[in-house]
Amino acid sequence: MALPSRVWASPAEGDAIAISLVLGDAGGEQTREAVGGLPGGGGERGEEVGGLRRGRGERRWEAYAGGRARGGGLGVGVPVSVIWGRGRGVVASWWDEPEGTDMEVPEKFKEMMENESDDDDELEKISEAFICCVCRDLLYKPVVLACGHISCFWCIHKSMSGLHKSRCPICRNQYYHFPYICQKLHLLLLKMYPSAYKRRENQTLEEEKDMGYFSPQIGAPEYQLQPEQKIIKPSNASVPCFSETDSSLNACSVRGGETLDSMEHVHSGSVHDDIGLGRKDNAATSAPIAADRNSKQIQRGGTCKQASVDDVLCDSCNHMLFRPIVLNCGHAFCICCIVPQTSEMLKCQVCQSPHPGDIPKVCLEFDHFLEEQFPKEYGLRREALQMKHEQFLSESPSPSTCSSEAGKESFHFSFSSGEDPLPWWNASSKVHIGVGCDACGMYPIIGDRYRCKDCVEQIGYDLCKDCYTTRSKLPGRFNQQHTSEHKFEIVKSNAMHNIMLRLLRGQLQEVSAVSDALHETSANAIPSSDNTNEDEENVADATRPSSETEANESENQRLA
Amino acid sequence: MSGGIARGRLAEERKAWRKNHPHGFVAKPEYLPDGTVNLMVWQCTIPGKAGTDWEGGFYPLTMHFSEDYPSKPPKCKFPQGFFHPNVYPSGTVCLSILNEDSGWRPAITVKQILIGIQDLLGQPNPADPAQTEGYHMFIQDEVEYGKRVRQQAKQYPPLV
Repeated sequence: MALPSRVWASPAEGDAIAISLVLGDAGGEQTREAVGGLPGGGGERGEEVGGLRRGRGERRWEAYAGGRARGGGLGVGVPVSVIWGRGRGVVASWWDEPEGTDMEVPEKFKEMMENESDDDDELEKISEAFICCVCRDLLYKPVVLACGHISCFWCIHKSMSGLHKSRCPICRNQYYHFPYICQKLHLLLLKMYPSAYKRRENQTLEEEKDMGYFSPQIGAPEYQLQPEQKIIKPSNASVPCFSETDSSLNACSVRGGETLDSMEHVHSGSVHDDIGLGRKDNAATSAPIAADRNSKQIQRGGTCKQASVDDVLCDSCNHMLFRPIVLNCGHAFCICCIVPQTSEMLKCQVCQSPHPGDIPKVCLEFDHFLEEQFPKEYGLRREALQMKHEQFLSESPSPSTCSSEAGKESFHFSFSSGEDPLPWWNASSKVHIGVGCDACGMYPIIGDRYRCKDCVEQIGYDLCKDCYTTRSKLPGRFNQQHTSEHKFEIVKSNAMHNIMLRLLRGQLQEVSAVSDALHETSANAIPSSDNTNEDEENVADATRPSSETEANESENQRLA
Repeated sequence: MSGGIARGRLAEERKAWRKNHPHGFVAKPEYLPDGTVNLMVWQCTIPGKAGTDWEGGFYPLTMHFSEDYPSKPPKCKFPQGFFHPNVYPSGTVCLSILNEDSGWRPAITVKQILIGIQDLLGQPNPADPAQTEGYHMFIQDEVEYGKRVRQQAKQYPPLV
């Protein structure tokens, strides 16, 4: 059996190192001795090994060491994995690899590695659907793009351009808006993979501390865009009663009334109660059926013990999501519960925030998961919606929005879908490079930029013109403690940046364009740079939305 | 902002590769003289596809990952002077999926890159030439081109 004899590690200063010994052919005592020679094993090799303890599972030993590690001998015949990282976040894990050859890993240890490579994930077999394509780890604080693809909050944000349109990491679909975290998926993952999700949380928090920027704390009051789970609970327990087709069929219409009701209160603080009551009306009281269903799921769940239908309900019809669509605000709806509005922008029925652009595509990974996890409920939903579809056809000749399969393609809207709404390369447009709107997520902001004067966070709080004028109530994207009392100032885009952009684009044809641009006031508009130089920024105070555009224009005229 | 996604992702790539990789391929991070591992540079081997003139050759390829990976693709280099219409004289591979502005997506894995390059070996893209010698021979003299490719395959015998 070709087993590694040496182990190599290159952790950074201060990283914790966990060395896991899988007891192979060697006996317990022999293995213990081998630990003494591990990286960081004292003397010239580095600092002392912190300690040896029996890891989870009978066949694992773990040793912890601090400081820098170098290669060390391990005794032949002892298969080893080395994991190092910060906190409990695994940065890397390796087996030894004799130089020159790609070591043959024995089959049974391959299996063991698969099952045990990540300490926390041992017992949680993570579904491929929930592996982020960017970091190849469990999704953490998932966001869903307009093309329906899921990735982590930071993976998406870091892969966004900040200079122009960004592209989906999976399909290269272009987009401008950084979506909110999908709370439904977040809570689902937290429930399904508690320890792996916790590991991701710690890992991300460490990275955030290094960066000085933070992702939103879900569960914090600022992030409550939707009624709390607890409040929905009582109605949840009884709603999805699939045998009664009537209740499914009426779902959309009932929901219509309910949102009207809640719409008025959505920003008033009493929203929770209203929605709670609305959903109770909607519900046919059949708690025993729901309880029965839950118990069945527990029996069935091999890979996903705890998830139940209650975790994957549509934010609108309160039935299990069917072909889910996640809007920019992070709320999830069945494909048939998205009501197309021909004149205006699509608005979220829960938080009323407008959704920029076309209706997003179905989140297929999520949909496949639902179909696999809850086949019976999924089938019933499909049937119910197909029946509704037929009913629609018989009642009115107009095309239905509730078709199960064709629905995705049948949505067409008039608002600015085809043409590019943001001609950022246009010489007259004002691009705020690297600055995103904290409400709608537009990144970079094009047009007027309003910066909060009172937010102290390093990343700042900015709004685009539309969100400023509509007084968006959405919380900041990076956990800023922004409140409605805060005041804004208008910030001009950096003239030099615009000239550079035009040069880069080869669009600077006239010298006069340069002089025009130089008349624009300049501002350092990149919050990600370490010290945003406030002195260079020429900012005009804008106290009221009505006066700020005037202020902006007069400023320009004065300077010209 | 570079938040260190690159290393975490590369560790996951490595793990996935160890679990399963296509036959004949090698991909592993570089070893530094002091025995530590440099995750940002991978030494790979691509076998020539069976049934093509490239068969029998095991072509060494170096992948250079930047801190912006996987937002930006790795740079893939054959040895300098490698003969192929879509390989620059420096050895850099010219391939759409390795171009940030055209085909690259962060979802593309190391495995997919290597298989993509293997396909490119046998199916050059004359629309996007990167070296004159390989391109002209490919366009003008198919027989001579095939002979040259087989000759190159002999230069890169299996490692074992």
